[in-house]
Amino acid sequence: MHNAKCTCWNCPAIDLAGKVDFRACGQSTKQFVKAADDTEETRIMGECKRRPELGLFDPMDMTFAECTEYAPGPYGYMLRDMRVMILGIDGYLGWTLALWLGSLGCKVSGVDNYNRREWVKERGAQTIVPISRMNERLRAAREVLGLNIDFRQIDIYSERDRFKEFVDEVKPESIVHYAECPSAPFSMIDVEHAIKVQENNVLGTLATLFTMRDVVPETSMVKLGTMGEYGTPLTGRPIFEGLFPADAVLQWEGREWSLGGEIVPRDPASFYHVSKVQDTFNCYEACKYWWLRSYDVMQGVIFGVDTDQVSADPRLRTRLDIDEWFGTVINRFVAQAVAGIPLTLYGMGRQIRGFIALRDAMECMTRLICSPPEPGQYAVVNQVSGIYSTRELAYIVAKTGREHFGLDVQIQRVENPRVEADEHPFEAIYERLPKEFGFAPQVALEDEVRKMFELFLTDEVRARIEERRQVIMPKTWWSGVKREVERLELLDLQGEIEEDERMFKINR
Amino acid sequence: MPHTRVLLEEGIFRQMRSTVPEISSVAWSSMITGTNPGVHGIFGFMDLFEGSYRMRFPNFRDLRAEPFWREWPGESVIINVPSTYPVEPMEGVHISGFVSVDMARSVHPAGLLDKLTEMDYRLDVDSQKAHSSMALFLSDLNKTLEARIRASRYLWDHVDWRTFMLVFTGTDRLMHFLWNAYEDERHVHHDFFLDHFRRIDEAVGEFCARMNDTDLLVMHSDHGFERLDWDIQINHVLKEAGFLAFEAGEEEVLRNIHPTSRAFALEPGRVYVHRRGKYPRGCVDDEADTIMADLEQVFSRLEVEGRKVIRDVYRAEDIYSGPQVEHGPDLVLVGAEGFNLRATMKARVLAERGIFTGKHTQDNAFLLVRPCGGEADLPEWPEISEVRTIIETMNPALAGVCGRRYA
Repeated sequence: MHNAKCTCWNCPAIDLAGKVDFRACGQSTKQFVKAADDTEETRIMGECKRRPELGLFDPMDMTFAECTEYAPGPYGYMLRDMRVMILGIDGYLGWTLALWLGSLGCKVSGVDNYNRREWVKERGAQTIVPISRMNERLRAAREVLGLNIDFRQIDIYSERDRFKEFVDEVKPESIVHYAECPSAPFSMIDVEHAIKVQENNVLGTLATLFTMRDVVPETSMVKLGTMGEYGTPLTGRPIFEGLFPADAVLQWEGREWSLGGEIVPRDPASFYHVSKVQDTFNCYEACKYWWLRSYDVMQGVIFGVDTDQVSADPRLRTRLDIDEWFGTVINRFVAQAVAGIPLTLYGMGRQIRGFIALRDAMECMTRLICSPPEPGQYAVVNQVSGIYSTRELAYIVAKTGREHFGLDVQIQRVENPRVEADEHPFEAIYERLPKEFGFAPQVALEDEVRKMFELFLTDEVRARIEERRQVIMPKTWWSGVKREVERLELLDLQGEIEEDERMFKINR
Repeated sequence: MPHTRVLLEEGIFRQMRSTVPEISSVAWSSMITGTNPGVHGIFGFMDLFEGSYRMRFPNFRDLRAEPFWREWPGESVIINVPSTYPVEPMEGVHISGFVSVDMARSVHPAGLLDKLTEMDYRLDVDSQKAHSSMALFLSDLNKTLEARIRASRYLWDHVDWRTFMLVFTGTDRLMHFLWNAYEDERHVHHDFFLDHFRRIDEAVGEFCARMNDTDLLVMHSDHGFERLDWDIQINHVLKEAGFLAFEAGEEEVLRNIHPTSRAFALEPGRVYVHRRGKYPRGCVDDEADTIMADLEQVFSRLEVEGRKVIRDVYRAEDIYSGPQVEHGPDLVLVGAEGFNLRATMKARVLAERGIFTGKHTQDNAFLLVRPCGGEADLPEWPEISEVRTIIETMNPALAGVCGRRYA
């Protein structure tokens, strides 16, 4: 199992008590430097919050596999009844993860400020998969899955004192931070929206970091970043996982420097992406200053509707947005196919991105929650299960719609409202989750797309798509212009895809 | 140190033996319980979880014998006694000493916490400061001492105590780091070294002045000190002599010990025979005696620069007795003059020098007793675990509990 050899040093139940130098009968209750890499001259002492009877011990000595508080599960050794707090629990990912973790035996708590519901409403849109008010969602989780989710309506930034009280009350062993505005177009509407996104994301994360420092410093944070932080380097430089690998070298004027371990360059593509980059640095610094531990999850573009839990009952479904602000590309393509709108490629439509299905994303998150980083460690994973060009995706959706559901799906190129390269090389590295955390993608893109069609073609969802079909086409331009994009051409997709595969290395 | 000189003149002074090994956790546990490690169960700062190679740091909860304050009548004030963390409810006040990690669990009663915080009380000097700035470390040492004296003065006045125990631990840190400053009059910290002892002498004078004529005063150390010439790596000796090996290519930590290993050592000089059934990879059955005899030979012959390294090799049965003996080491080594014993698993050399210039000694701790009237009969060369019985014998108020541990 991938985390069998992790030790109490990684475990959030450890209370790091101090550093002792027994050679000089000396102690420090403030300094924690990993002892395993030195000559045993000093020792870190820890106490287990779950097993106080162990007294003080060397946290590097006991593995998860040896500890009675851990049990083997499908995603690695996991703390029994692990307390996980989900920030943004009302969202597409947050709600799905809450049910997923609860079904694995975690004690789930969560907060949300319902901003997402308001923002979608502001666009005149709605989640096409209907969701209830939180009280009803919680009741359904209790009735259908037997889960008791401890929820509070809290804004983690503006109500940070209340948030701190809640964290202190729950003492979560992992905090999953999904409480961010996930929309690039929303951040580009105007100055008010750009500020709103930065305030919600950057200041919310900052408030979370300070809360963790003060209340639960041993808790690990699993924070949602985005592959979009990296941009798409036109040189074709690989997109590493957050930090340069150990053997990366910078050469300049005949001289060389190691880049190993340094944060890789960021090239965000909207003020939303900038907020994520700022988060990255805030998390990185907090780990450095306060010995917090954090995974920054650079998630590819998410898609899909299915996990065992959200599919178990209509009342448990997670939200799904298809509007120009909050709909992700595959979700929007399927909705367009159902609504009879030609699938929209921006510009050349040769943007290449990493993608991951909802179910696979839940599995990755669980594996990360099970295996916290070491104290002081800021670690990054690229959470991606496949690489596709948007043309290729459009083709797959169109083909699935035509062949399996008898829909007449067309594809169009439209003006690109964004400032981005719409034709570029792309080599993303996403090795850590498979190699270090045992993740293997379970969801085939075509299968998930089929499930989406099945759901979207139900009477209720189809009607909700029709009701809001006018909000699918983009009207928000990075330049500030507000007008609907115009069609450039209808495509012969098969020919285009073959060309793409010749031009670019596609890491499927 | 004029106040101590007066006590030397008035009282009875003895050179005292510390425990084996001569480290604070073992020595103070022996003193407060009046028993040996075979009874109280504390054999070192570190130990292994039973049946594993996992390292733990025994604390007050692991003590298997009663400290005197649970048995003597009346309230006690106990300040800064090492290895008494976390504190437990008792009659009086208990502020634990090294290693204490959490202030809230170092103080009984909890209501005293605010007062101690107000007095800037510090559980211990932050020894890590010495690695970045000796000046900062020394400043911290003084602040810790002053706060300790302030707290002691307050408790002396505000608690209706029958027994008052105060331990100064700054002297130990000072001597580890700056024994060379003590020996060298030109050393930049020489005066600081002496001044620290003078300040303690002043405090001794102050508290002595507050005592009644009928009070019994006992001053003692838990070990002695001397110059440190060499750190000697015991596990390196075991590796070189073929007693200890680790799995090839694995980190040299105990959990990776090779199953053919016959012995290993824990700090400072505790040697354990790698017995089958006691350790997960143990291999030694009936040949333990032979192995110990071989080890005695190896260590007795050990020399560095022509000097004998090991003063004594003790077998457990020679120094320990009681129900906890089975949890202790099989052999305990005591270093010869100037040789400080270490048990680093990853050691690559036999002898090395670090930043410390002073080391504990086993045979020259001190005991000073000012009887509360009349003559006293002290052993010629007492051992630290006898201090409690000496007090019980000399203090009429404790007549009822006298000698309990040797009954």
